[in-house]
Amino acid sequence: MAGKAIDIIKREGKRPSEQFQRDKLHASIRAACLSVRSPEGVAESTATQVCDAVIIWLDTKPEVTSADVRRKATESLESFHPEAAYLYKHHRFVI
Amino acid sequence: MIESLAIIAFAALIHASFQLSVSMLTLLSGHAIGSKTAHTKLLRLTNAFALGVAIMTMLLLSFFALLVQYAFQAPVPVIAWVASCGLLLGLGLAVWIFYYRNEAGTSLWIPRNLARYLSDRTKATKQSGEAFSLGMTSVIAELIFIFTPLAISALVLVELDTDAQLLGILIYVVISLSPLVLVNGLIGSGHKLSHIQKWRETNKRFLQFSAGAGLLILGFYLYIDKVVAVTVTTYGAF
Repeated sequence: MAGKAIDIIKREGKRPSEQFQRDKLHASIRAACLSVRSPEGVAESTATQVCDAVIIWLDTKPEVTSADVRRKATESLESFHPEAAYLYKHHRFVI
Repeated sequence: MIESLAIIAFAALIHASFQLSVSMLTLLSGHAIGSKTAHTKLLRLTNAFALGVAIMTMLLLSFFALLVQYAFQAPVPVIAWVASCGLLLGLGLAVWIFYYRNEAGTSLWIPRNLARYLSDRTKATKQSGEAFSLGMTSVIAELIFIFTPLAISALVLVELDTDAQLLGILIYVVISLSPLVLVNGLIGSGHKLSHIQKWRETNKRFLQFSAGAGLLILGFYLYIDKVVAVTVTTYGAF
């Protein structure tokens, strides 16, 4: 499921918009799962399921902010892997 | 001498309650684990980071002690203690008010641009040398808060003999490094980062309160011990 071209507004427009990239979201979800020491297979399948959920949600939207994508991905990740969701949600607020 | 070393140990304990280095170590290990870095390399990175923090703390304390020695010679004049006590009290209140931001996670007082830069640098760190310099940088970045415990320890150190000075520096570095060593040990032994970060978030207000209270207590103690007691002994009570 590649998804249609959707513009992602980054940091409330302070950085240039870019098209939604499934691979980028997949890599970040996978990294969050691996960070809590999940096995690689679990990380892969969780990332795939979260990306699918986010793409279905994006389907009706012409453009969204990166914060919206992160929020939606976190919501979805919480149901599959709460610990990874915690790190994914808070990694910007560690420092 | 025991009293002086106890003051240094208490100042180091206050230093240990400041969290920038621990936050950066948590981020560093999170990204290393997330990118499937081998366990030995992960340990090399985190150990190099901790070593950088230890070396920079030792250098700063030695440098401050040298400055104090050039400026005052022993014994340290009362006015220097008065100024230091004022700094301790002011900083104690500042820690209570400003140290953590009022938002989720463990966001610290540091400006957001600097936080983003440190965060990006931490994520990009792949080599032990980079991790070492990142550890050193984390100490410098928090200098505004650790300056006072370091300065107090330097004032105490110059009044000790040479052997005790070395012991004092060692005590300060070991105690101030203890949270980093603990987190490093937990990561190395396979604990989940989410548990460590959740503990830090749950207890951040307690850490903030104890750091601020520690500064106030040390300030009052030193004011009585180094200012009031000396003044009364020298000039009489009335």
